[in-house]
Amino acid sequence: MTSANTMNSSSSRRQKTPLEHILRVALYICLLGMAAVYLMPFLVMFLTSLKDVEEIRSGTLLSLPGSLNFDAWGKAWGGACTGSSCNGIAPYFMNSFQIVIPAVLISTIIGALNGYVISMWKFKGSDIFFGALLIGCFIPFQVILLPMARTLGWLGIANTTTGLVFVHVVYGVAFTTLFFRNFYQGIPSDLIKAARLDGAGFFTIFRRIILPISTPIIVVTIIWQFTQIWNDFLFGVAFSGFDTQPVTVALNNLVNTSFGGKEYNVDMAAAILAALPTLLVYVLAGKYFVRGLTAGAVKG
Amino acid sequence: MANLIIEQVKKRYGSTEVLKGIDISIKAGEFLILVGPSGCGKSTLMNAIAGLDDVSEGRIMIADRDVTYADPKDRDIAMVFQSYALYPNMTVEENISFGLEMRKVPKEERDVEVKRVSEMLQIDHLLSRKPAHLSGGQRQRVAMGRALARRPQLYLFDEPLSNLDAKLRVEMRTEIKKLHQKLGTTIVYVTHDQIEAMTLADRIAVMKDGEVQQLGSPQEIYDNPANLFVAGFMGSPAMNFIPATVVSTDNGIMLELATKTPTLLPFPKKEALNAYLGKEILLGLRPEMITEPQHHKEGLEFVVKSQVNVEVTEPMGADTMVITRINDSEINCRCHPAYPAAPGSDIELMFDTSKAVAFDKNSGERIDA
Repeated sequence: MTSANTMNSSSSRRQKTPLEHILRVALYICLLGMAAVYLMPFLVMFLTSLKDVEEIRSGTLLSLPGSLNFDAWGKAWGGACTGSSCNGIAPYFMNSFQIVIPAVLISTIIGALNGYVISMWKFKGSDIFFGALLIGCFIPFQVILLPMARTLGWLGIANTTTGLVFVHVVYGVAFTTLFFRNFYQGIPSDLIKAARLDGAGFFTIFRRIILPISTPIIVVTIIWQFTQIWNDFLFGVAFSGFDTQPVTVALNNLVNTSFGGKEYNVDMAAAILAALPTLLVYVLAGKYFVRGLTAGAVKG
Repeated sequence: MANLIIEQVKKRYGSTEVLKGIDISIKAGEFLILVGPSGCGKSTLMNAIAGLDDVSEGRIMIADRDVTYADPKDRDIAMVFQSYALYPNMTVEENISFGLEMRKVPKEERDVEVKRVSEMLQIDHLLSRKPAHLSGGQRQRVAMGRALARRPQLYLFDEPLSNLDAKLRVEMRTEIKKLHQKLGTTIVYVTHDQIEAMTLADRIAVMKDGEVQQLGSPQEIYDNPANLFVAGFMGSPAMNFIPATVVSTDNGIMLELATKTPTLLPFPKKEALNAYLGKEILLGLRPEMITEPQHHKEGLEFVVKSQVNVEVTEPMGADTMVITRINDSEINCRCHPAYPAAPGSDIELMFDTSKAVAFDKNSGERIDA
């Protein structure tokens, strides 16, 4: 460790040869090129959303808009038609939140408890149980559409927000359990033994000792689940009712509904709006994630 | 303070038996050490006493109360773990008082107890720190503090010193011994370090392959090992095992060594060797019983001098270990550092067999017990 550090610092003080300079510049050009490729679609979307229909028709994809015009954003948010209603995607935004928030919270809590039990309160067959649960990670969405539709019907929650929350929780538990189980696998079992001798029970240990050191994995799980559920289209389109559609479905309807000419600027603005929450969660929580790891929260 | 009785405790995982009928009983206030190589079942036995592992058969009693099937928290025990197992999210103070809080002790009493324990262990200046910001020795103290705070009937120590560096280990060893003398508590302590076992214990249980090989005081175990394993495990450097032939001479039964000039060694319990006349046995002789010639021992009944060839010497300061070869096995001898013993040279050594023991070559059992 120490010797590696001194080696690094001595090489950075040393003068670079011309070849190293050229290679370094080439590396940055490469990186910038890749970044541009990745950013291009977003740039096109953003530029298009600021143009009016006339500009889109006459200009190229990358031509700059004549003026900063956020009309399309306003329309996408509150006035565009999705199917027969013309209230923009705002109401569906709320639908999405009503689905995503409970689904993320419930699946994270169940995953944490599952992982806690599977890694620290092993019972006969717990490894088989975990293996079976893992299969859930590999089942494609479309496979469970029909059986799930029947199940939701039986439960009387078809076409409701509750139904969608239920579907996402069931589907997400396999992943959240895997995350928490793997994280808890690295926590020494002596910790649980010590707490048991101290007189703490199953839930007390979970609440007082395990949860407080789980911050990094909780954040990872929330980012993952939020992104998955917010971006879901298939379950949303299959199991939602007319007034419980999530924003992804609404976006699809908005793009496919046309009276007269196609309003590409509104489509693009709506698409960006629909993608914003996941981006925001990642930017905000990603920071916490890194902080959680570097604070040595699990070291002890 | 409580006595501990372990009766015929067996533990099976599937078809493998890791504890094969353990019988140990200690009085209140005794310091019991479970010692043995890794995989001998000592940690399993510890977990069984703690209630963290179920036993397959047998009975465990603490303070004359059968706790075989009691929950760990109802056994009134505390444990210090090898990994310390401090709660990483809690401060030192919270770590120490957690057990009291779980037992619904009021806050004021908890504070008093934390103060008492932390002063006793000299960690009162660390109370607001998190375990991640403590050194190994400090964590060790906190782990002990957590155990002491509850004033349980029985303390369990699971290799508590093995993560410390050598110097700190010796310091903490002394401190644990002082603590035991001061508090007079019953302690069960697991270690694989025979020096820890010798220095700390009132009673040692030497374990191997899920069985207690011998249970006794440190001196008993050192002087009178029940078999080859115990003899070889306890003591550092280990006891010498010299293959020797039992021969009949004018002076009665003797043991013959193939040194430069064949040496005949007397043996204290001659009659035990009768059955082995003409056969080879293993003679157990501690290194300190093979020394440079000492005037005050000259002419004693069980003292014989002989010439040996020096292979290697290991000066240790207080003594110099002289390593030689007798009857094709390596022998450690503890000589005075001033005694000239150059590698390769022949020197005279004095063999004192008054405390020698003899083992059957095949079974490894004592034959003169």
